[in-house]
Amino acid sequence: MASPFAWACHRFRTPYPNLDVKLNHLWSLLMRVKSKSRLTRIIDAGVIGSAIFLVAFVIHKVDTVMIYDWHWGFLWEYILRWDEEQQAYAPNLLLKGLATTFRLVIWSMLLASMIGICMGIMRTSSRLLFRTVSRLYVEFIRNMPPVVFIFVFFFFLSSQFVPLLGIDEISVRASPQTIAILEVLIGPPELFANVISGVICLGLFEGAYITEIIRAGIQSINKGQTEAGQSIGLTRFQTLRWVVFPQAVQRVIPPLAGQFITLIKDTSIVSLISIQELTFLAQEVAYSTQYVFEIWLFVAGVYFCICYSLALFCGRLERRAQRIY
Amino acid sequence: MAVLAILLTPVSAFAGELQQQLTSESVIQTIMKRGKMKVGMATFVPWAMRDKKGELIGFEIDVAKKVAADLGVEIEFVPTAWSGIIPALIAGNFDAIIGGMSVTPKRNLTINFTAPYAHSGMGIVANKKLAGNLAWPDGYNSSKVTFTCRRGATSCTDTQKLFPKAKLRQFDDSSLVLQEVVNGNAHAVLTSFPKPTLWQSQNADVLFNPTLDKLTEGNEAFGLRKGDPDALNVFSNWIMVNTSNGWLQERWTYWFTTMDWADQVNLKK
Repeated sequence: MASPFAWACHRFRTPYPNLDVKLNHLWSLLMRVKSKSRLTRIIDAGVIGSAIFLVAFVIHKVDTVMIYDWHWGFLWEYILRWDEEQQAYAPNLLLKGLATTFRLVIWSMLLASMIGICMGIMRTSSRLLFRTVSRLYVEFIRNMPPVVFIFVFFFFLSSQFVPLLGIDEISVRASPQTIAILEVLIGPPELFANVISGVICLGLFEGAYITEIIRAGIQSINKGQTEAGQSIGLTRFQTLRWVVFPQAVQRVIPPLAGQFITLIKDTSIVSLISIQELTFLAQEVAYSTQYVFEIWLFVAGVYFCICYSLALFCGRLERRAQRIY
Repeated sequence: MAVLAILLTPVSAFAGELQQQLTSESVIQTIMKRGKMKVGMATFVPWAMRDKKGELIGFEIDVAKKVAADLGVEIEFVPTAWSGIIPALIAGNFDAIIGGMSVTPKRNLTINFTAPYAHSGMGIVANKKLAGNLAWPDGYNSSKVTFTCRRGATSCTDTQKLFPKAKLRQFDDSSLVLQEVVNGNAHAVLTSFPKPTLWQSQNADVLFNPTLDKLTEGNEAFGLRKGDPDALNVFSNWIMVNTSNGWLQERWTYWFTTMDWADQVNLKK
């Protein structure tokens, strides 16, 4: 009997020989992973089968409804290009954009974590002033759409205080070594102000969510723990550091990982304020070449790879945290 | 006489101060002091686009480079999302917009415009299947006809003016504007030359040009922050000089009437 894979491979005319046999093999391996009852297997098979069918159906539909010639060959040149003068490969727009995205992610993650931890502790403080300040911060940002926040931040705040930091001066006055270090950390000198306003913007925005995660983590620890700490003579800070935090960290990691993944995706929003990251530069390439769909699909793939690998990494971290504490 | 002189002195002293202040605050002074001119622009074929090396090329890139060279300063381009380009100018992210921006009264209320350095024309491209039998131009002014346009672009207001009865769907991306017409979800789109002919040749079996006439003529000018007469004068006169010596026309001819530049970009065929 012909398997469903053989039928599908035939129907979609895949160019790979024996694909159906390999898929069949994979399928039987998958089915053998855990000893399950016959009924569960059938249900699993039904679910997976209908998912595959749905995807194939959508692809088929798009193919017939959308009139579009797909071209992928031009893409590689915009990732890495051959430099005639240097006789070497040089990164082109998409790779440069990816580098900026990584810089944005790392710095804004650090900034957001710092803000989040400070504000999170303030949120659980016994002082009304601290609680009010961090409450105001969190509610102000959480109740605003990110796009609106980014525009308000960029045009009203960032344009006022980023020049005060004297970034343009740095790039003129600093020694070549300093510039070289800064270039690795932030990017090309003419983009310093650009990247830094992006980092501050994302850091402030994501910090609000991290504040809530930290607060929840601290408050989830039984009050008895704090009381026990204080009864053996620890100060409030010591109790937090040695009793509450170690327990809270373990609970906080999964939601924190989710927030970091959101942050990576959110970096694409700052393309609206012309931060030269992956999404923005991809848009430039799309406008210039007019291969829009290829570019967007590629960009989607890149974000997926980054986010998914971070998710895997965090899963591992989580298991380790469980072992330590 | 003496009385008059005494009366006038404080006024003229004040005027002198004001004049000095205006001059020292002009963006021209900032540019000269910095030794670099920052120009805001957005990618739009063939005004400004990325070549295979990732560098910017195009009509207004040539213009901005020559302005900087004539002022004796370096040039820095600040690629900016089109929808936020005016706020970004006002916020001071760059000194001027040289971005193929057409002069409209509404925009002129928030920023100043120089004399025009280009005159783009709006053309039309339509879907053969949907609009093939429509009479030009009256058939297009009907509630059954759908146009697309890029949000915030002049083509949106032009479409509404020329075809008030037609439906208009707005997109943020100029390529989606085209794709909707190619897919047959919209009848036609107004866009500035050379795009009507370029898009038609890229999709020759789906699209056609109901006419090759310019439907409207635009005036593209540099955008500047308000309250800066010096900059307005410097740039407007630069444009005047380069219009009369034919340089602007020569560059325009190269970018808008030939496709000699097409192999510098990986432009879709």
